[in-house]
Amino acid sequence: MSETYRGAALSFWRVMAIVRRHAYVLQRSPHRAFDVVVWPAVDVVLFGTIGIFASTRTGGGAQVALYLLVGVVLWHVVYQAQISLATGFLEETWSRSVLSLFVTSMREWEYVAGVALFGLVKLVLGVGTVALIAWLAYAFSITSLGFGLLPVAALLLAVGWAIALFVIGLVLRFGSGAEALAWGILFAVMPLSGTFYPVSSLPGVLRPIGELLPTTHAFAAGRAFAQGEALPWHELGLATAGTVVLLLLSLAYLGWMLRIFRARGYVTRYS
Amino acid sequence: MGGVLPPAALRATGLVKEYRRGRAVDGVDLTVGPGERVALLGPNGAGKTTTLLMCLGAVTPDDGTVEILGHRLPRERSHAMAKVGFGAGYLPLPERMRVIEYLRMFGRLAGLRRPDRAAREALERFGIPHLAGAMGTEMSSGQKTLVGIAKAVLHRPRLLVLDEPTASLDPDVALRVRTGLREISAEQGTALLVTSHNMVEVERLCERVVFLSAGRVVADGTAAEIIERFGRSDLEDVFLHLAHLRDRQQVST
Repeated sequence: MSETYRGAALSFWRVMAIVRRHAYVLQRSPHRAFDVVVWPAVDVVLFGTIGIFASTRTGGGAQVALYLLVGVVLWHVVYQAQISLATGFLEETWSRSVLSLFVTSMREWEYVAGVALFGLVKLVLGVGTVALIAWLAYAFSITSLGFGLLPVAALLLAVGWAIALFVIGLVLRFGSGAEALAWGILFAVMPLSGTFYPVSSLPGVLRPIGELLPTTHAFAAGRAFAQGEALPWHELGLATAGTVVLLLLSLAYLGWMLRIFRARGYVTRYS
Repeated sequence: MGGVLPPAALRATGLVKEYRRGRAVDGVDLTVGPGERVALLGPNGAGKTTTLLMCLGAVTPDDGTVEILGHRLPRERSHAMAKVGFGAGYLPLPERMRVIEYLRMFGRLAGLRRPDRAAREALERFGIPHLAGAMGTEMSSGQKTLVGIAKAVLHRPRLLVLDEPTASLDPDVALRVRTGLREISAEQGTALLVTSHNMVEVERLCERVVFLSAGRVVADGTAAEIIERFGRSDLEDVFLHLAHLRDRQQVST
């Protein structure tokens, strides 16, 4: 018998070699579970809940549209804040600049402040684009709502930064393999936060999780204000308390990961 | 009249670092005096880069202490690193930055008021002023290495740490680098700590040589002293001797 396969058997085992190669990658890269498990779960919860919410508003199509437009504008505050800070650090890993920066006299907080400050520029561009299109295409002017949304936006900005600090901690600890989380982690939070609907529309089992998130209360405050109600201070209070806790936890986690990063010599991953 | 002695540029004592694969650095003592030019040599895996990274505060030692110009790490890392320049032949330049922009950024990080002037002086010193407007993607590896060294000396550091600075340079450019580094050391009193696999270069540039093998200092002295101590013809021969010893130890364990 020949030592090697031939014909169809040869092709079959070549195909299986590639299958196995990718199975190893998936097995050893838990973050890739985002693509195969988390995204589908997010999609079904998000669109399912939007559908449930819309179907329960009898004759309230305008309200659904308002919720969606306010939600998408506010969503981009938290998203742009998070993505600009997280990818700002990832940029250093891609360009292998981490070691060069680590051995300067710059302090860690100075680095984070610099990236976050530039992130504000990107945030203005990103949110500005969303707001402009909402105005041109749907005659929805976010500025017509007044300054009441500013505290809501400020809270969402802080939440975005807190999540970005957590992601940076993950990248420090787990390397560039954790990059997918920079883009993905926030989208896992989105359906639970009631971005486009009240959390009462969520499946019952998910509501308690949603209630715990500061973003839930910030979006609820934003929606109430957009509908012409007075700013719901109790929602803002809950959002503020949750944001402070999240920021403190993220900072503690980042500090812990930074100590591990230095102790285990992970800086050599990026040099 | 009794004056106060200036602190050592670098004083590392009893450095230990253990990774999962084993002990990378095992009780290294390393002192670099003010203005002194020291080479840290050793075969691959001897612990040179780990030692350098611990001395720079980028890796935390499991044991031992590091003091740079009187500043103890990690507590006074920021103050210490303000006086240190670091360059490595293996560090790339960001692709989407021009050389002058890159140097300006590091000048600002070092607190320079006029980073552009310092950048142009550094580029001039290493014979590459024409690269100021070049993008990282437009340069050869040798040119990138020169820019990296220019970055390291921008802020007139009192300790310059260079890891394999001339690894990708042709002999002519390597000579230019050595000349530039000797000038900086003489003019500014900058201490040098250099790793290299080029023994000839080490003999020409450094006054003292520290040999590491298997994470330990196995020799410390002038090149001539070390050659004599090991009974070899030159530093390269000492290097090969230590590398063979290490290989034999690895086989026996």
